[in-house]
Amino acid sequence: MTPRESSGTGCTSEADPPRIHIHDPTLRDGHHAVRHRLGREQLRGYAAAADAAGIPVVEVGHGNGLGASSLQVGRAALSDASMLEAVREALTTSRMGVFLLPGWGTSSDLRQAIALGADVVRVGTHCTEGDLAERHLDFLRDAEVEAHAVLLMSHMAAPERLAEECLRLVGFGASAVGIFDSSGHYLPPDVSERVAAITAAVDVPVIFHAHNNLGMAVANSVAAVRAGARIIDGCARGFGAGAGNAQLEVVVPVLERLGYATGVDLYRLLDAADFAERELMPAPPTIDSVAVVSGLSGVFSGFKTRVLDIAGREGVDPRDVFFELGRRQAVAGQEDLIVEVAEELRRSSGPPSTPVAAVPGGAP
Amino acid sequence: MDRGRPLTVAVLGAGLIGVDLVTKIRRSPLLECRLVVARDDQARGLRMAAALGCRTSSKGIDALLDSSEPYDIVFDATNAMSHAEHWALLQPTGTRMIDLTPSMIGTMVAPTVNGAEAGRHANVNLISCGGQAALPVLHRLAREISAEYIEVVTTAASRSVGRATRMNLDEYIETTRAAVTRFTGVADSKVMVNLSPAQPPSPFRVAISLLAPAADPERVSVLVEEAAVAMRRFVPGYRIKVCSVADGVVFVAVEVEATGDRIPHYAGNLDIINAAAVHVAERHPAPLGGRT
Repeated sequence: MTPRESSGTGCTSEADPPRIHIHDPTLRDGHHAVRHRLGREQLRGYAAAADAAGIPVVEVGHGNGLGASSLQVGRAALSDASMLEAVREALTTSRMGVFLLPGWGTSSDLRQAIALGADVVRVGTHCTEGDLAERHLDFLRDAEVEAHAVLLMSHMAAPERLAEECLRLVGFGASAVGIFDSSGHYLPPDVSERVAAITAAVDVPVIFHAHNNLGMAVANSVAAVRAGARIIDGCARGFGAGAGNAQLEVVVPVLERLGYATGVDLYRLLDAADFAERELMPAPPTIDSVAVVSGLSGVFSGFKTRVLDIAGREGVDPRDVFFELGRRQAVAGQEDLIVEVAEELRRSSGPPSTPVAAVPGGAP
Repeated sequence: MDRGRPLTVAVLGAGLIGVDLVTKIRRSPLLECRLVVARDDQARGLRMAAALGCRTSSKGIDALLDSSEPYDIVFDATNAMSHAEHWALLQPTGTRMIDLTPSMIGTMVAPTVNGAEAGRHANVNLISCGGQAALPVLHRLAREISAEYIEVVTTAASRSVGRATRMNLDEYIETTRAAVTRFTGVADSKVMVNLSPAQPPSPFRVAISLLAPAADPERVSVLVEEAAVAMRRFVPGYRIKVCSVADGVVFVAVEVEATGDRIPHYAGNLDIINAAAVHVAERHPAPLGGRT
């Protein structure tokens, strides 16, 4: 075992170690952190670096997926087609992934993505609304494209409900199913319980996608694997919405040390992460005060930049906005509620007294 | 319009939309619900329609084709794919159709925008619940304000959205977009759909944004309120929650609560499209058959 293959120690089993498939949404989830403004060279450069590291799937697109560029969640610098073309050119062995939220993107967006060379499509819905994916999973089955189905904001449903939804999604044709901790709300036992329930219910690989609002992204990914998850999402330097995702170049060697095989080349992975830090982001994601509140309140991490913009404009505390959005059980996509919540807070608090600039985390 | 007798109508589909529609039809002195039809999988909706006092059938479109009794109007509350077939079969019979699916087949109508022309068309399409909520505001604004881009985001309570709508999100988006362009003349637009599982459920909500750098906030607020007043004449729970102009973006959030019916207050999505359906039906001209 060379250092370049693995940093693993203590893995002495004669049998092949269990395989974990790494799925890398750096160029999709990371878009949330830079207002969906990555350019062609950035996409191409990172995709080439990830490809060199042997990362199985490189996902690309607007943070909210195909067709999602909008005033509601942010307008992307590039069209979906330009993003996919840039990444496709750079990949030799890695497969290209895309993400679609039914109600945001449509089958026409899927058709275009497939024509541009998407190999793996993730269809996401809110955790209790899996049947919204039926139509698009049907479409992908007919198109013979690998389709994963994922449940967003999964902390909002009980383990049994998530297992039921996942079983239904397998019935619609998903070849892998799983959960996103979109708010970064979970602690490891929450993940273990949910992934175990899903793993017991379905006979396809189970996916886990972490966010780091409470500092648990890597620990939660480990808990997921131990509970039976076999597809783990990670982003270079954690580049993703809010406090970011599970840090890819950390989660991979940690899993290797635990005795799981990822097939990813450590040094090339670290090179890709260095490239990402240098070329994709003004600074790596950090768990700032707003991100902590977002995780505690159970609000979609992707709300952060809009909450900061609108809270600043209305002169209210963004932390209050997050807690009120959490109380209203806002789900991903309901960014339009932010204006109303901020206006109501302003009206109920009279003239602003707290300087909003005192709250850290104003950078996009 | 005095016809001397109510128009006879039938309803295709007994999902969430169909059952509420039957309630509203029965309240109208101008409409008489003669039959509600569905397929077997909507047996529960059919039982509810029967409990409301309607004749029902589970034989789908065949129940209408077999009937010796011609209907003045057939409402289609099934799904966009089925509507094409229903229209092909019913068109030769001379029946008028009011289509509540996002099929884009009939002439698109929103009552306060172009309701007056509805009577001229044998097949009227009601676009979508989001279209019915957004178009009155958009149409009013677009007559005076030049917009480069329009965006509509609808959020309905999960429990108020049945299977047909869930399977028709693509059609919902494409039809609503086409209507936005048709009634505003703005080609660049986007429509998005959210479902909210919040408990207790929140009312149906439609967020409207226009990129309109020259918009005057005071004038925008007057126009938006005019549109709301016109809507409240037949959808009393239609409210403007937010109306703001900032950074060249006009942002209007509309909420629709269902009032006065058996459906829960949050199901404004059902209320607004069904109120539009009854509104259009009541203003239909005398039956094509010429009976009086």
